[in-house]
Amino acid sequence: MAGFLLRRLGSLAFVLWAMTVLVFAIVHLLPGSVAHMILGEYATNEAIATLEAKLGLNDPLPVQYWRWFSGLLGGDFGQSLTMERPAGPVILEALGRSAVLAGVSIVLVAVIGVSLGIHSAVHKGSATDRALTLGQYFFIAVPEFFWCILVILFFAVWLGWLPATGYTPIADGGVTGWAKHLVLPVSTLVLGLIAHVSRLTRSSMLEAIESRYVLAARAKGLPERLVLRRHALPNALLPTITVLAVDIGILIGGIVVVESVFAYPGLGRMLVYAIDNQDLPLMMGGMIVITAVYALANLAADILYAVLNPRIRVGGTAA
Amino acid sequence: MADAPPLLDVRGLSLGYATARGTVRALDGVTLAIRRGAAMGLVGESGSGKSSVVLALLGLLGKEAALAADRLDFAGEDLRVAAPRLRGLRIGTVFQDPAAALNPALRIGLQVAEPLVQHRGLSARAAHGRAVELLAEMGIPRAAAVAQAYPHQLSGGMKQRAVIATALACEPELLLLDEPTTALDVTVEAQILDLLERLRAERGVSMLLVSHNLGIVDRLCDGLTVLYAGRVVESGATEALLAAPRHPYTRGLLAALPRADRGRIGRLAPIPGSLPDLTRPDPGCNFRPRCPFAAAGCEAPQALHPLDARHVACHRAEMLHDAAWPAPDAAAADRVPLGGTLLEVADLARGFRLGRGLFRRQAEVRAVDGVSFSLRRGEVLGLVGESGCGKSTLGRLVLRLIAADRGSIRFDGSPVPAMPPDGFRRRAQIVFQNPDTSLNPRQTVDVALRRPLERFGLAHGAAATREVERLLDLVRLTPAYRPRYPHQMSGGEKQRIGIARALASRPDFLVCDEAVSALDVSVQAAVLNLLEDLRDTLGVAYLFISHDIGVVSHIADRIAVMYRGAIVEEGPAAAVLAPPYHPYTGALLSAVPVVGARGRAAARTRLKGDVSSAPTEGGCRFAHRCPAERGTVCRTQAPPVQQAGPGHAIACHIPVAELARAPAALAVAE
Repeated sequence: MAGFLLRRLGSLAFVLWAMTVLVFAIVHLLPGSVAHMILGEYATNEAIATLEAKLGLNDPLPVQYWRWFSGLLGGDFGQSLTMERPAGPVILEALGRSAVLAGVSIVLVAVIGVSLGIHSAVHKGSATDRALTLGQYFFIAVPEFFWCILVILFFAVWLGWLPATGYTPIADGGVTGWAKHLVLPVSTLVLGLIAHVSRLTRSSMLEAIESRYVLAARAKGLPERLVLRRHALPNALLPTITVLAVDIGILIGGIVVVESVFAYPGLGRMLVYAIDNQDLPLMMGGMIVITAVYALANLAADILYAVLNPRIRVGGTAA
Repeated sequence: MADAPPLLDVRGLSLGYATARGTVRALDGVTLAIRRGAAMGLVGESGSGKSSVVLALLGLLGKEAALAADRLDFAGEDLRVAAPRLRGLRIGTVFQDPAAALNPALRIGLQVAEPLVQHRGLSARAAHGRAVELLAEMGIPRAAAVAQAYPHQLSGGMKQRAVIATALACEPELLLLDEPTTALDVTVEAQILDLLERLRAERGVSMLLVSHNLGIVDRLCDGLTVLYAGRVVESGATEALLAAPRHPYTRGLLAALPRADRGRIGRLAPIPGSLPDLTRPDPGCNFRPRCPFAAAGCEAPQALHPLDARHVACHRAEMLHDAAWPAPDAAAADRVPLGGTLLEVADLARGFRLGRGLFRRQAEVRAVDGVSFSLRRGEVLGLVGESGCGKSTLGRLVLRLIAADRGSIRFDGSPVPAMPPDGFRRRAQIVFQNPDTSLNPRQTVDVALRRPLERFGLAHGAAATREVERLLDLVRLTPAYRPRYPHQMSGGEKQRIGIARALASRPDFLVCDEAVSALDVSVQAAVLNLLEDLRDTLGVAYLFISHDIGVVSHIADRIAVMYRGAIVEEGPAAAVLAPPYHPYTGALLSAVPVVGARGRAAARTRLKGDVSSAPTEGGCRFAHRCPAERGTVCRTQAPPVQQAGPGHAIACHIPVAELARAPAALAVAE
């Protein structure tokens, strides 16, 4: 297990490093001068040259890359070009708010998705199973920006129950005010993912229920509840865990859309802002952080998978 | 005793499954009874409904199954009501393939202890203690450690012992055994049969043994019920019934069975036709369309009636007492004499890395480790050995389908390079074990057979169509099969297509990798006859790989016995099947369950462990399991290859003269 962890951490480090190269390359291959962007349309050539020299934009690319990369290693994301602040704290604050959004979402997806999937599998062919199946296909098919608009119209504009956009820190608006701003973004984020996860849980649970070892457990005379909980569920959950990790990637993509629509000040919205304003340090830092989150989620899923699967966790032969 | 009510009393058990095609009548009036302490064998081919009987007894049929019975009693209780309470407690069950029947996510000890916690109310700790005892009683060494293990850490035989321990945990009166040894190697199967025999003698537990293998049933059961397409056709005492079967189907089954103890007995007699459509049950005898004795009166319902101390569901059974089962159709041609050397393989080797480096340390297993043999034109070399001995790998190496680590292959006088030319591919082909996975489900028969013709430039267009029809005729199928997809054919038909595909390029050499193993006995006989005919008419040579000694002894001219990557004995079939043996060959042969060989069990050579247990470095690779092991010589020095007769080689330290004194494991009729 220790060797496995070391190897996985090694490949994680490599992925993150490769991503820094990629992000840096993409950003610097984009047309347009950063100094020009900052100083505006009517800047003099001298002013631009002075700023370029100050920002080190005249240095060779490897030097620039190394300056940025060594800064990253020390936790320094550079100075935001538009905010007069270091990029690091900006990214961190946005990450914190996005993490709340994503964390609440993924927990809801896991709990509701898995429960619905199990229910469908156990009551295969029943009216609820058929209704759920229909709903699942519907929610998988409809994109989230459509839900964004629909729920804003319905709950915020028409019913006026919830705020359409924005964010209130707990310190200002209390828990209720804070939570109210989360309801709509979270629900639009999770609808499709719950459908996806419950669909998958249903099929893996069905496979487990129809397996020989579940038949053998029933032949032992165990009550059905125990058969499902002890014999079917642990095996059925393995594929679900892998998919949850993939869903975290989908969730991050969804956050960019949802945060923009709901004007939620998270990482996704920050990234859009950084791109709009050519704030390179913010943009690169945001992308690296998102990559890291995704890679760590996958690592966590792999470890969880190994812990739950004795065929990976325990090697060798006993007799 | 005879008056005591039977422990299990099933009368008129019928079962229907609602499907899209209509109701499938899986069981139709099945009647069987088991006395306390008795063992009943339930025999039938696939589709006979034998496994459905087990599920019906356990009350574990799905919701879509409609069950009806005049009586379904266990110890006086109606199983339709009491099954959920009795299963696991008074009825233990062992399913086929222990690898699938054990939960991969749970420790062995927990799985064995579960029924004790559930039915006997034992604490988890007490149940675990009892589970360890049970595992030890099943002959599992280091039972406490095994109880802590997960299923994937155990060998197949150990897994099945754990499953049996679970079934026996609450000391049931009846043990339901559904193909308990089908997934196991023959030497491991023999160990499990010994265990079951001992359990029956020591605990007096009754058994219902469901199997397609008559030899196993004959060893273990005093009673036998033969099932055909959901109906009981014959039932009675095993010995009498197998010695003189009275129902035409039972007679056909025995006539179609290749038997290791009889060696080559000319041609087998396949049962023509296939299983009837169970959605439209025949009110009369449902074996009638396949029965060579069918006559007027067969269309009337056939009731089981007593005859010769048994029950038979055939109104002509008495009349047919002296009528012989029709002799199989004559061979298509006289056998062509063996030609010159076609294939020469020298020192072929291939290793595989295990573990894929995720959690386990990389280990290499030498699947094939320096194998040499040669094959003449029109000759059949049988290759036998247990799973994991490398026989399938060898088959693929010989065809250069997988790369060899070392060794050379000469085909028809010229060396075959690692990337063989088209000419070799055309002349050397393979028939795989499972036609379900080796035929492309999206290709029609026509496309599958046309492809090699076009690939090798043998025929195109209308000529190819004619050639496809000729190939179909060769495997006894009509041109009507051309537009069919694999799912529209039976297993036997699919395997014929697999053979036709291999023959399309008119090869001189075929590797048959378990080519008949997935088939039922009645169909297997037809395919074996077909392979013999092709050998005789076309002069094709076969490398015939099989775990079934009966099949190999029927078709092979020479037999090679493989153990852990090496050939330990090779020679003419009759010589290999009789002493002197390599000790492994002797053990293998004595483990083969043979019909009508009662009392043979006591004289058996038993091997400990299985192929994977305790590797030996340097010495004889069989030393760790060898019943005749001679100490350090065997464990440290590679055994010399001794000549035991003309063309008969044995790799063993023990002198041939001494090996010749071994008892004959099979009574081979020359």
